[in-house]
Parts: sequence; C-alpha cells; structure tokens
Amino acid sequence: MYELFKNLGAWLTSGHQWSGYDGIAHRLAEHLQYSLLATLIAAAIGLPLGLLIGHTGRGAFVAINLASFGRALPTVGLVVLVFLASGLSMWPVYIALVALAVPSIVTNTYAGMTAVDPDVKDAARGQGMRWHQVLFQVELPLALPLIMTGLRLALIQVVATATIAAYVSFGGLGRYVFDGLAQRDLVQVMGGAVLVAAVAVVLDLTLSGIQRFLFRHRPA
Amino acid sequence: MTIDWSWIGDHTDDLTSLTVSHLQAALSAVFFGLLISLPLAVIAHRIRPLRGFLLGLSNILFTIPSIAIFVLLLPISGLTRTTTVIGLTVYTLVVLLRNTVEGLDSVPVKTKEAAKAMGTRPLRTLLTVELPLALPVIMAGVRIATVMSISLVSVATYIGDGGLGQLFTDGFQRDFPTPVIAGVVLTLLLAVVADALLVAVQYVLTPWTRRRA
Amino acid sequence: MALPMNRRALLGGLFAAASVPALAACSGGITSLDQGSGSTGGGSGSSKGGLTIGTANFTENQVLGYLYAAVLQEAGVKVKVRPNLGTREIVIPALKAGDIDLLPEYQGALLNYLAPKDNSSEPGTMQNALTLALPAGLQVLPYSQAADSDCFVVTRATARKYGLSTLADLAKQNGKLVIGAAPEVKKRRVGAVGLQEVYGVEFKEFKSLDSDGPLVKGALKKGDVDVANLFTTDTDIAANDWVVLADPKNLIPSQHIVPLIADRKADDTVRKALARLGNVLTTEQLTQLNSQVDNDKKDPEDVANAYAKEKGLTK
Repeated sequence: MYELFKNLGAWLTSGHQWSGYDGIAHRLAEHLQYSLLATLIAAAIGLPLGLLIGHTGRGAFVAINLASFGRALPTVGLVVLVFLASGLSMWPVYIALVALAVPSIVTNTYAGMTAVDPDVKDAARGQGMRWHQVLFQVELPLALPLIMTGLRLALIQVVATATIAAYVSFGGLGRYVFDGLAQRDLVQVMGGAVLVAAVAVVLDLTLSGIQRFLFRHRPA
Repeated sequence: MTIDWSWIGDHTDDLTSLTVSHLQAALSAVFFGLLISLPLAVIAHRIRPLRGFLLGLSNILFTIPSIAIFVLLLPISGLTRTTTVIGLTVYTLVVLLRNTVEGLDSVPVKTKEAAKAMGTRPLRTLLTVELPLALPVIMAGVRIATVMSISLVSVATYIGDGGLGQLFTDGFQRDFPTPVIAGVVLTLLLAVVADALLVAVQYVLTPWTRRRA
Repeated sequence: MALPMNRRALLGGLFAAASVPALAACSGGITSLDQGSGSTGGGSGSSKGGLTIGTANFTENQVLGYLYAAVLQEAGVKVKVRPNLGTREIVIPALKAGDIDLLPEYQGALLNYLAPKDNSSEPGTMQNALTLALPAGLQVLPYSQAADSDCFVVTRATARKYGLSTLADLAKQNGKLVIGAAPEVKKRRVGAVGLQEVYGVEFKEFKSLDSDGPLVKGALKKGDVDVANLFTTDTDIAANDWVVLADPKNLIPSQHIVPLIADRKADDTVRKALARLGNVLTTEQLTQLNSQVDNDKKDPEDVANAYAKEKGLTK
C-alpha cells in the first residue's frame, strides 16, 4: 500500500508525466472540455424544460418519470449504441454525458420552481406583472439555489463519467484509467482516478462559490 | 441500425441469466450499502462533528470513476463478483447515507422526548421509533440507489462481469447493435420494475403515512 | 472486506484437499516443470470438479475458449467459460489467483510477457522456455499447429506514400506516423517498445484503441492512424487490401496457440482433449471461424460447437 502511494506521488509530480499528448496537462484540458461542454448542452436543454414545467405546472408527471428513466440509462450501453450508429466520432461521448446530466437539471429546476410560495406569485400577478416577468423576476431568482444544486450534481456526475470517452478511443483523464486497466498499471489508474475526483471537487467548490457570491445579500 | 429479432429469439436463455445476474449484483450492492449506511448514519446523526466528515467522504467517493474503483479492487478481490459488488456498494453510500441521516433528522424532537419520558431505552427508541419514522426518506434513498446501481452494473463488463453489460462489449466488438439494444432495454425494464416493487414495499411498510388519505 | 481473500483461501484449500497429487505439486513445485513441454506423463491435478476457462478481450480468444469448452465437455469435464475478461496483464493474475483455471494463449506473446529478454523463436525451444519462465502452479500444454501473430499493417495508400514495406521502413518516417493499437501494446515488446529497440522506430503518437477490434480498424480506415496493430488471422486485412509490414529482424516471435492451465486442474483427460483439438485446428480454419463471428455476427460459442462437430471432435 505504502509503495503504491509513493509511486502515485511520483506519477503525479513528475514533469515528464505532465507534458506531451499523453501528459496530464493535455488530458486534463480534454477532460474539462468534454465535461463543461456536455454540462452546458444539458443545461441548455434541461433548464428551459424545468422552468416551463415548473411555471405551467403541466407535464410534471411525465418529466419526473422521464428523469428517473434517464437515471436508469446505462451509460456504457448508450455509448456503444451511438458508436455503432455514428462510427468513430465524439457523438457517443456527448450524447451519453448529456443524457446523464439532463435529468438532475430538470428535476432540480422543477423542484425549485414548485418550492416558490404561491402567494408570492399571486402578489406579483396582482401587481400586473406579465407571465414572463413573474417567471424571470420572481420565480427564477427564488428557485435559483435549487437550480444551482441541480447543475452542481450534474457536473459532478459528468466529470466522473467523462472517463468513458477513453473507451471509444478519445482522451481525457479516462485514458489513464483504461490504459492502466489494459496494462495492469494500478498507479496510472489511481492517478487518473485522483485527478478526476480532484477536478470534480474543484469545479463543485467553484460553483458553490459562485452561488454564495450571487446570494450574498440573502439571509441563509 | 436494425434489430435482428432471430438473435433475440435464439438467446432468451442467455438474456434471462444475464438479467438475473445483473439484478443480483445491483441488489447485493444496495443491501450491503444499507448495512454500512445505517450504523454510520446513526453515528452521523448523533455525533455532529462526524456528520460533515462522513457525508463529505461519501461525496468524494462518488466523484471517483466507477471503472477506476473496479480496477483498483483487482489486487484484493480479483475478477470476481465480489469486486463488482464492493464497487457498486461504494456508490450507493452517497445516497443511502445522506437520506438516512436526513430521515433521522426529520423525526420530531418531541416524539423522541416522549419515548424517553416513557422510559424507552435509547436503542429501543432508535429501532422502534426513529427508524420507522425515518423510513419514507430512507426508502426514497433506497429507490434512487437501486435504480443507480442497476444502471451502473454494466460498467463491470470491463472486468469481465457486469451482467447485461456483457451484451454491450459483445455488440461493440462485433459491430452488432442487437445485443446492445437488448441490454439497454432490459436494464431500463429492470429499473422500472425494481422501482415499482420498492414503492409497493414502502406502501406496505409504512401504513401510518396512508391514514390521512 | 477481507471476505474475498478468505473465500479464496478456503476454495484453494478445498481444491488441494480434493486431490492428493495437487498437494504434491504444491509442495514440490518442481513436478510442474517436467510437465509443460508436451510430455503427456502422469497428471498433476484433477479436472473432476470442473474448470473455468477465461478468455481475453478479442474475438479469436473467445472462439478458442469455446473450442476448449466443447472438447473438454465431450471428455466429460464440467466447464464454465468466462468470456471477455480483459488483457493478458489482467487475465494471467486471475489465473494465478484461482479465479479461472485455463486460458487459450499464444507462445511468443506469453513468453514476452513472462520473460521479455528471452530470444527463443522456434516453437519447440519456445515451449521449453515457457515451461521455465512460468510461475509455480501454472503450466503450458502442447501447442497447436494453428498460429496467430501480431502484425503491423498500413493502408495501400500509406504504404505507397511513405514507401513502406517492412517495419524497418517505419524508422525513415520517425516522428511523422501515428500508430493505433490496444493500450497494453504501448508497454509490450511485441509493440511500441520492441519497434523502438529493434527497428529504431519513433512514432509521432501512440493512440490507445483495441485488440483487433472496431476502434483500431475504424481508425485505420478513417486515416486517424497510419499504422495499426492487428492479428494475422483477421480476414479484414485481405478484404481491405491492407499491407502487412514484413519483419526482417524477427521482432514478432512464433505465435502458436497454447493452452495455459493451472497445475491443480491439469490431468490426462484435459491434456488429451486439448491435444486432439490442437492437432486438428489449422491457422486457416481459425481465420474462418473468426470471420464467422466478426462478419457473420454468429456467436463464438455456436461457431466453436459447429466446428468441433464437423471435425468429429464432438458428437
């Protein structure tokens, strides 16, 4: 065990390991690219959907069930299926990651919207606010904390799962995990795993920092 | 991408045994996850300083890619079902632990005090008052953990297990969509059925939540 | 979580207790050395309790695993096949640990894994070298006449463009070409390491793909890689008019198929059944069986059973 951690330390800190196309710097950049882009696309789909369902109160049953259905989708199967349909391309990776992230975003956005006090909404309407004003000036700001929680959860899942890109020939930190598995090089696997976890934690802390900054005027 | 129905017809036995093996792995993980989470949750609920530590730890475990956990277990438990179950169990902890702690938190202080006033011992209060009242929240966690485990089992195909996940690697290597589609559909079905059964179990286990209806 | 180790120790104990010869092999350690080289002397283990065949993560290895299963079942041995377990680097430790008992292997590749410095190239000397290099508890049975080597291929267009016909020609394009192969090939002698040592080849990039699977073949077709590591028993090489680069310095050793088995399971029943298969199966036939799985989408198990029946190996 001690040996493994000593080698892991050496692996993570050697300059040689950080440079080149298979270096940590390059793999880290790839991993961030896959994760952030997938989460952004998922947010572009999930946020409007969640807001719409939350605002109108229609389609909630369908959305919640679709979300739990989405949670059950096996990522490996989805990646392989899209790979067989599209060949060697980034499609399998992005489709699988987006499918993974959308449910958390939709359900949390919807939950945030339903948690808004109906009296507050009535009051806003009573003041003559139009539907979009109620949505964007009243409901959205009040629902934001839960929406942010959904985004953070989605991002963490996507970062951990973006490892799968390496299974279909691409890069990212998953390269170390899959190569390490094939070579039975546990130090490399552990290095990859530690880096993925570190990326997830750092991104989560960043988002929670942003969240705290946005709501700094609001009592906890 | 067409489905070769004759392949499915010829492989009903294989599909059945893979489905059973898939379910067995997922359910074992949830079982061991509960076995570990329940005592840890009680500790986290009672001893405040440990709460952040335990929940934080389970959160960090959740950020480790599942395949890496399976690979790192190879020197310990080899290419066995044990490796699959340990790896999946680690992932159930984040949901089960958090929900159990929240469930215990949701028990009204007055209820606990009433039990104490009646002279009920702490362990008995925990088993007969707190845990039953926390059950709805715990069961919500069990449902999420079960669906999540069912979806994750297939990752273990990279270490030669993985239940229905074996259909994914097989179809991938042969450029053959039929087994992959069958695997995805069966996984989803399994998740839906398991979730419905858990809802039924919860209904039976918590009669008091129905009284109002 | 010490459970698995206990369980494994317990299982090991049961196996050992099940047959006295197995105990002798364990304590002696040398008994197993006399076996492997093809002698069909007294059994050192017992297959009575049945055995588990493991296979690596590529088509041919699964076909071979199911062929072993077919002839062993015919001989009355209870068999379980675990397909698609992973690479040699993963499967051999599993064999040592007792998770599986028997593996279809390849002489040269196995020897390279066990003793990278060994230069044996004849099948006979290689068999002896293997017997010496194997860890205690494992042995190889007589090798088959069928063989399947690693090879490095380029497309016809790439061969023309860079004037490539042998592995040595690759060195003239150092730093320009991208090679695609399974991840483990990066660290193997029959792979990036040997190409560098023997031929002085330096690639621009090593792309981690799969073992003669859809990734490496897809990448070669698409032009994502210039050089691909494939197996000589793949009909796609001829079908796509790919050029196999010659190996004048014999980097790639003879690769006859050889059963690798745990001593505790190696008895005369197993030996005889696998030797019979090894004598019947030819490289051409194996190539055809692979194609039936990869191109006709037949199950490796069905393909293996049909072949065994056709050749009179099973009824």
